[in-house]
Amino acid sequence: MQALLSFDQAPPFTAPVRFFVTAPLFAMLAGVLILFVGPELFVSRWTATALAATHLLSLGFLSQVMIGAMVQILPVVAGAHIPRSLAVARMVHLALICGTLLLVLGFLTFNRLAFISAAWALGVGMVIFIGAAGHALFTVSSNNPTIRGLKLSLLGLSGTVILGLLLALSLSESWPLPLPQLTALHFGWGVVGWGITLLIAVALVVVPMFQLTPPYPKWLAQTFCPLALLLLALQTMANLAGWSVTADSLASTLATGAALFAGETLRLQRKSTRPSFDVSQQFWRLAMACVIVASALWMGLLWLPALAEQPRWAMLCGVLIFVGGFMSVMNGMLYKIVPFLVWLHLQNLCRPGEMAPNMNKVIAAKQITWQWRAHLGALLLLLAAATLPNGFAYSAGAALLVANGWLLYNLLTAMVFYRRHAARLTIASENDGQQ
Amino acid sequence: MSTADADVVIDARGLEPPEPMVRTLEALERLAVGQTVSVLLPREPYPLYRTLQINGFAWETRFRDDGAVEVLIKHQSS
Repeated sequence: MQALLSFDQAPPFTAPVRFFVTAPLFAMLAGVLILFVGPELFVSRWTATALAATHLLSLGFLSQVMIGAMVQILPVVAGAHIPRSLAVARMVHLALICGTLLLVLGFLTFNRLAFISAAWALGVGMVIFIGAAGHALFTVSSNNPTIRGLKLSLLGLSGTVILGLLLALSLSESWPLPLPQLTALHFGWGVVGWGITLLIAVALVVVPMFQLTPPYPKWLAQTFCPLALLLLALQTMANLAGWSVTADSLASTLATGAALFAGETLRLQRKSTRPSFDVSQQFWRLAMACVIVASALWMGLLWLPALAEQPRWAMLCGVLIFVGGFMSVMNGMLYKIVPFLVWLHLQNLCRPGEMAPNMNKVIAAKQITWQWRAHLGALLLLLAAATLPNGFAYSAGAALLVANGWLLYNLLTAMVFYRRHAARLTIASENDGQQ
Repeated sequence: MSTADADVVIDARGLEPPEPMVRTLEALERLAVGQTVSVLLPREPYPLYRTLQINGFAWETRFRDDGAVEVLIKHQSS
């Protein structure tokens, strides 16, 4: 083989990887914020510091990984190529970093300029990403559920961004908009429209591919993503019309759907042909268990006033969704995607007949196992802090900092591995050329 | 090209990435002009298509009733 990838089509190594390496830094910042603010942060999800921490995790960690993953997987699973992917990745990455930091600054200082600048940076970055990914995706036919799901997740992201920009501008310009209602819609579009829709679309491919399970049932693969977006749109309309029972019933249906998907993933995992579960599968198993518990809790918050009156239940639900669910899945996926990318790009540099180093050598299994334990510890401590802030807030902040510092270390190890072997292979090829 | 005529058959269903790609590349390194490799996969291998294109191979993809995707590969010159 002369080459595996044509660089006019495949994204260069640094295009997706820059997002992956940046993500743990934001989660580390969230850990620092918890350490700095202490138990007060866990009093209510409406406090400025809780909103800052939530966006450090949702926008800083999760969206960085999700956008990086989309840049990478569009050509692999959909055959859709983002034109000038490196330039697009650079601009979106920079805008996301600046926008997230400015938004967090806005929450912490209530500075008008910070909110306006955040809205501009995030708005421009997201428009570039949605435009580029949308252009790439809409040039390929929707001949499988993953491609349809990826397209729908871009719609979900668009809804999240529009509502988020409206909220940021309302805060900076003091527009008389119903902020709690808009926040609930922004949360719904972010979690379901963008997060869960993308998660399902990607899971349909990566769970059977990397975990060696049977495929998801056809009915689930065909219906879940379109149904989630349809129900979300109806729920939004019911919410805006003031039909609270209808809106809550639709939200409950969405929560049930998320739990069903998680249950089905756990069932498939049990049919995996792997002799033993690897750490990536453990991350997925933890995430799916958290999704099921969070769904039940979400329904409780919708229908049981006694639960809704106590802010700690909403806080607990948030930790389960963002850290237990999404962050666990992202961790698990990074340990498959990054070593695979390293292998693929090294193989591309190999001479005919030469094979790149084994993918399992890119990040040491022991390091991954220790980071998994650190993540699990951070999750448990954050859940404890959401329930008893005075007892666990500081240890939860420290644990989040450690778990994500470890993730960053593991990802940087992969980068060093790539650079070392890329240099060796390049020198070998040049020597061959001179002879 | 037809499945029955394939000189090498790789059933890559149930293999974790990058093993299907590794085995296909190894088979293609040894493939003589006029010979055919058949690769069975659970889904369409978009990255493989680019690799084949760059390296001068011709291919044909078939979607089987059992859900498997079969890619038949030979040298472009054959």
